[in-house]
Amino acid sequence: MKLIKAIIRPNKVDDVRAALEKMNISGLTITEVRGHGKQKGHTAIYRGKEYNVTLLPKMEIDIVVADETTDDAVKAIMQAARTGEIGDGRVFVLPVGQTYRIRTGEQAV
Amino acid sequence: MQTANSRTTISPSAALEAARQELIEETTRGAAGRAALECYADRVDTLLQRLFFEAPPPSQPVVIIALGGYGRRHLTLHSDVDFLVLFERTLGADEELFVRGFLHPLWDLPLVVGHQVRELGEFARLETDNPEFLLALLDARRLVGDPGLYSRFLSAFHRPDAHASILDLLQTLIDERHAKFNGTLYQLEPDTKDAPGALRDLLAVRTIARLTDPALLGYGPADPARLDEAEDFLFRVRSIVHHERRRNQNLLSHELQEKASQMLGYAGAQPRQRVERLMSDYFRHARTVSRSLEWARKIAPRPVGVNLVQSRDGIRFVDTQRAGREPHTWLNAFQAALDHSTRVADEALALIQQHVDRYAAEDFFPTTVERDGLLKFLKPQRGLYARLSEMHDRGLLGRMFPEFQAIFSRVVRDFYHKYTVDEHTLLTIKNVEKLTGETTSSRARFSGLLADLAEPELLVLALLYHDVGKWSDEDHRVESVRMARLMFDRLNLGPESRAMVEFLIANHLGMSLVAFRRDTEDPEVVRNFAEVVGIEERLKMLCLLTFGDVGAVSTETLTPWREELLWRLYVDTYNQLTLRYGDERIQHDQSGVVKLLDGRPSDVSEEEIRRFLEGLPCRYLHLFDREAIYRHVQLSRDISSDHVHATLDRRGAAWELTVVTLDKPFLFSNICGVLSSFGMDILRGHAMTNPNGLVLDTFQFTDEERFLELNADATAQFLEVLQAAVSGRVDVAARLRARARSPLHQSKVRRFAPVIHADSHSSQGYTILDIIASNETGLLHRISRVISRHGCNVELVLISTEGAKAIDVFHITAGGAKLSDAAQAGLTADLQRMLEGHDEAD
Repeated sequence: MKLIKAIIRPNKVDDVRAALEKMNISGLTITEVRGHGKQKGHTAIYRGKEYNVTLLPKMEIDIVVADETTDDAVKAIMQAARTGEIGDGRVFVLPVGQTYRIRTGEQAV
Repeated sequence: MQTANSRTTISPSAALEAARQELIEETTRGAAGRAALECYADRVDTLLQRLFFEAPPPSQPVVIIALGGYGRRHLTLHSDVDFLVLFERTLGADEELFVRGFLHPLWDLPLVVGHQVRELGEFARLETDNPEFLLALLDARRLVGDPGLYSRFLSAFHRPDAHASILDLLQTLIDERHAKFNGTLYQLEPDTKDAPGALRDLLAVRTIARLTDPALLGYGPADPARLDEAEDFLFRVRSIVHHERRRNQNLLSHELQEKASQMLGYAGAQPRQRVERLMSDYFRHARTVSRSLEWARKIAPRPVGVNLVQSRDGIRFVDTQRAGREPHTWLNAFQAALDHSTRVADEALALIQQHVDRYAAEDFFPTTVERDGLLKFLKPQRGLYARLSEMHDRGLLGRMFPEFQAIFSRVVRDFYHKYTVDEHTLLTIKNVEKLTGETTSSRARFSGLLADLAEPELLVLALLYHDVGKWSDEDHRVESVRMARLMFDRLNLGPESRAMVEFLIANHLGMSLVAFRRDTEDPEVVRNFAEVVGIEERLKMLCLLTFGDVGAVSTETLTPWREELLWRLYVDTYNQLTLRYGDERIQHDQSGVVKLLDGRPSDVSEEEIRRFLEGLPCRYLHLFDREAIYRHVQLSRDISSDHVHATLDRRGAAWELTVVTLDKPFLFSNICGVLSSFGMDILRGHAMTNPNGLVLDTFQFTDEERFLELNADATAQFLEVLQAAVSGRVDVAARLRARARSPLHQSKVRRFAPVIHADSHSSQGYTILDIIASNETGLLHRISRVISRHGCNVELVLISTEGAKAIDVFHITAGGAKLSDAAQAGLTADLQRMLEGHDEAD
């Protein structure tokens, strides 16, 4: 099992979710986050005053998938979230040791 | 005219002397209490009535009005006899003869007369700088003269706002007077009039009750009979003091205490015993008075409007029967609650609920006064949500706005709204209301937008109606607009206000859609959104509406993350509208132009419209409605160099100047300077130039000195100076310097560090100067003069103000192109120097 953590543009959430649903991946967690990668923010000007926009609003999507579907899921996310411009985001894939279902206490497969 | 009084044979001095002797006899018997003083006052009345009829008659209505203690018929031996000689109109020769004939005989008598000669018109304004006179007026009593005039005087004076002011003044007077006695009634040598617990305090208790709740004394700490008893005692003592001192002095000294105790018949073998008993009685009565006053000051309702008082449980109607008959006054109760940071009392709410179903929407706003009152009420402020909720709970909101009633407890199952539609709507207003007070630093930016709105009440009106269409299952934005139009008609809302509210309702989902679901880093997305919005005022309103709306979906919906997205879209769109609008010129085939051509009046040709619009920014079509544009076209006819075609119109509390002329150096600077030289405070405006050199400037400004209002030929005078300034016949800078030298106009403006930002990148054709500075008289004139001195041409200007802050955006060119880096640096340095208060080099 793998945890896929995708940091994407806020306006791409619906597209990514739709793409994952097409793959029958329905369980996902969405979090509003702020941060920067290569796109280190920019200088905005409002009424003559400059201010640095260092932390950009992004969405984080977390899904846990079986090892064999990981590549397809990552591909689907990247295709749906891509604009080609700086700031499209990142996808991290992490190994998952165990998962448990809180309601029943059982180990999930 | 002869009367029984004037036929009496006894002379005035003999009549007065007889009255005084009677009072002295009562005094020495220790019996000159209230009844004796009233009797003496009646005798003085008779005397004045007689003199009135013996004086040469005036040629207009006149009335003699007793004031103060004399008005109350509490006239002691050496009290001033205060009265008012009131005329209907300005005094002429006949009136002067009358006054002389009436007053001169009085001066020969042993009376201290305090008279005022006034005209009725003088009572239209309250003389708050003369509180003693105002209090004396409260005890006005007609002695003789025209009853109609007296009645008109009472109506002019006894207004709720006057009562409220007088109460405030009375409270101050009481505090000041008590301070002179160290705040204690236990004076061993008390002043029987001014000391705490003495006659003035007793009068204050009665005045407070009279102005607020006549029944008040009935449930105070002292029975009214005990107050009467205290008053009678104090009068008897004071009469003795007057008699013994032979003048209007009220101090009950140790020496006089012995005499008074004897005259008042106190028992005791020794004077000391009699004095002790007298003073024991004095302090007993003074305590009664003092406690009653303390209680009345604490408990008394306070008049806060016509038929409205503020009591401890909130705003109440004084006359509930009248209130039940006057639904158009109900909103005043809620406005008063807002003004005084309280609620509407349950009793008043119950009354409204009881009667509300008898009335239709029109009954609440029959005239422009009530309609203006509603718009004032809807200005975002602390407590507005609570008041609207009270109105909604009691059925009033739904009666005033039947369209709102359609969403009463309406549930729409969309799985993200947490409240019924009506409560969601009111919560949107609460969210905006919260921006008016202390906010977190991240929300201060939204608060700033709200403070900047010219008509924030339209935002609240739009919020109130944005979801009313949800009663149906169709597209609620369309239905909400349809329903809002019914309200516009009822309120007789002006075309610009209608357009704004309609835009906000129709687009209330638009900004959240773009901010949260579109790629706002794509300039095209921002450009398209800016196109929809058109002008900054709409953008600000829509941003705040979105802020309020999203925040009212649930407590978790408007996260700081979303606020940031919303704000960034606002900033990007604002910059698009203010920095790049110059590049987007009107195209002849765009829909706005076609509509203008189709709907043009018969005296405006198609060619004229096309020529006028050619090269103006697209923004122009957003800023002005069709009628205004046709007027501009008409103004542009036959314009020649050095001439201005201008109009000056009232726009609510502000004025609007529209100027059409041909471009020339220092033009903008001179126009702004003329406005400032007349003391006008420029609030907002636009300056536009087309490639043919045609200039259209509009300024909205306030006329704090009321020059335009008070002077019949003011408009003509102003336009004449404007024409002279543009053609170079008047030195505007000299006019401004002369004004600045006047001590009347030397005000200290709170200065803050100016911000100047020059930008030659955002626009294809212009260098843009963003200037934020303290809003001082003549600021725009000075800025634009520096720009012109640098050989730059002012092409476009956006002017706005936020309280003490002026925010101006200039689009400029030099030699038809953007400024070079060196020219830009030189200009900004000079502007910085000027804005920091250094003298300009001429």
